[in-house]
Amino acid sequence: MAAIAISKVSKSFPLDGKRSVLALSEVELNVAEGEFVALIGPSGCGKSTLLHLVAALDEVSSGSIRIDGEPPAVLREKHQLGIAFQEHALLPWLSVQANLALPYKIAGRPADRDHIAHVIRLVGLDGFEEARPRQLSGGMRQRAAIARSLCLDPRLLLLDEPFGALDAVTRHSMNLELQRIWEQKQITTMLVTHSVDEAIFLADRVVVMSARPGRVAEIIAIPFARPRDRACSRSEQFHQLADRLTSLLEP
Amino acid sequence: MGSSSPRRFAYGAAGVLLLLAAWELVGRSGAAGLTFPALSSVVGMYFDQRLAALLYRSARATAGSALEGLLLGGLFGSAAAFLTHLVSPLRPGLDRLAVTVNAVPAIALGPIFIVMVSRDLTPVLLATIPVFFIIYVAVTSGLRSTPTRLNEMMITFGAAKLQRLMYVELPYALPSFLSGVKVSVTSAMIGAIVGEWFGAPTGLGIVILNTMQNFQIPLMWATVLVTAAISLAGYGIVSLAEVITVRRFT
Repeated sequence: MAAIAISKVSKSFPLDGKRSVLALSEVELNVAEGEFVALIGPSGCGKSTLLHLVAALDEVSSGSIRIDGEPPAVLREKHQLGIAFQEHALLPWLSVQANLALPYKIAGRPADRDHIAHVIRLVGLDGFEEARPRQLSGGMRQRAAIARSLCLDPRLLLLDEPFGALDAVTRHSMNLELQRIWEQKQITTMLVTHSVDEAIFLADRVVVMSARPGRVAEIIAIPFARPRDRACSRSEQFHQLADRLTSLLEP
Repeated sequence: MGSSSPRRFAYGAAGVLLLLAAWELVGRSGAAGLTFPALSSVVGMYFDQRLAALLYRSARATAGSALEGLLLGGLFGSAAAFLTHLVSPLRPGLDRLAVTVNAVPAIALGPIFIVMVSRDLTPVLLATIPVFFIIYVAVTSGLRSTPTRLNEMMITFGAAKLQRLMYVELPYALPSFLSGVKVSVTSAMIGAIVGEWFGAPTGLGIVILNTMQNFQIPLMWATVLVTAAISLAGYGIVSLAEVITVRRFT
């Protein structure tokens, strides 16, 4: 699995001619191999921008990002990066199975039917292999998207608000599933989320970011043993952590 | 909708019949003058074997030119669009070239083609030019209609530009391409007919001109009706393909 070293990363976007807005300022963050890190922060704090930079979808203005000592684009070119967004990004004209075969096609490898079937079972979509995305519910689409991001056994998984569009109940059960999947694969994971509870429930460490410019305000280690269950998220300690994190998010 | 759609169809059919009946009446009464014949005398032209054969031959020539123009324009328009999409520095130049070519009136180009190429090919070329422009615009904007998140997904999976085009952007551009083709059908017909006016050996454009000059009014109307029918049929076929594609690709 991959380890990420983010050092002194700043990112500014040009507004018009001369002016620009600073989205990230001197961000320092190290993610260990096999670690699950959640990024939370007020909207506009640059947490999605940071994820985009790690995915090499955008370039840093200054500072550096290294994944296993190499620039982020290298991991991507080796097809070892998995990503899922708030909206599912499945191709609407392909079945679930064909959508999952897409990463193989991109990597120029024959689609591994057995592995696709395994991943589909892993996210609990068995029986829906032939369904098109619009025939699935929102939660199932997100599961399919996460399944697709796992197809090529990535060394790094980037999740940008993957459950942001789901209702609270579905979201919680998706959290349980994501935890189960993650425990089986132990992939280094960065999750961007708005939900304090989701961050605490899933992550080894929660990175709290502050807004304008985005910077790391605090990093909090989550002490709960895995697997975490509903009882854990109802415990007194969980609530105290959630309160503390929420207060950190308030301006 | 279900139950009301047969009724709507009936209203539509009644409206068309009413119009045709009005045409017949006005034509017979002569109220609109000598150049407005009754529908029955226009339709009668189709039952005259010699005239029917003439119309069939001409229609084939014109529809053939329009179709060739549609294919050529579609091919070159799409190819140019793919090229600007893959090699973005080419884009401003090709955009301007397409606009310039389109801004020149076909009427002005006709004589040049006659001199440079041939009388037979002028209808095809005049049909090609507007189609090229329409398809170029439709495909370039179609290729850009891919949602950002899908492009980002493809990039993070390590897809090359060509793979993005093949797997995502091309299917996304299909509906836009087909609505371009739909609009092109009429333009191709106009181009073919105008091209024939510069002296093609056969074609509906020739028949329209000759009948007008010889004052064969019913035959002229019959020819115009055939032209309209070909345009509408082409439009209808492409619309159907569009509906099916949109259903398949969304």
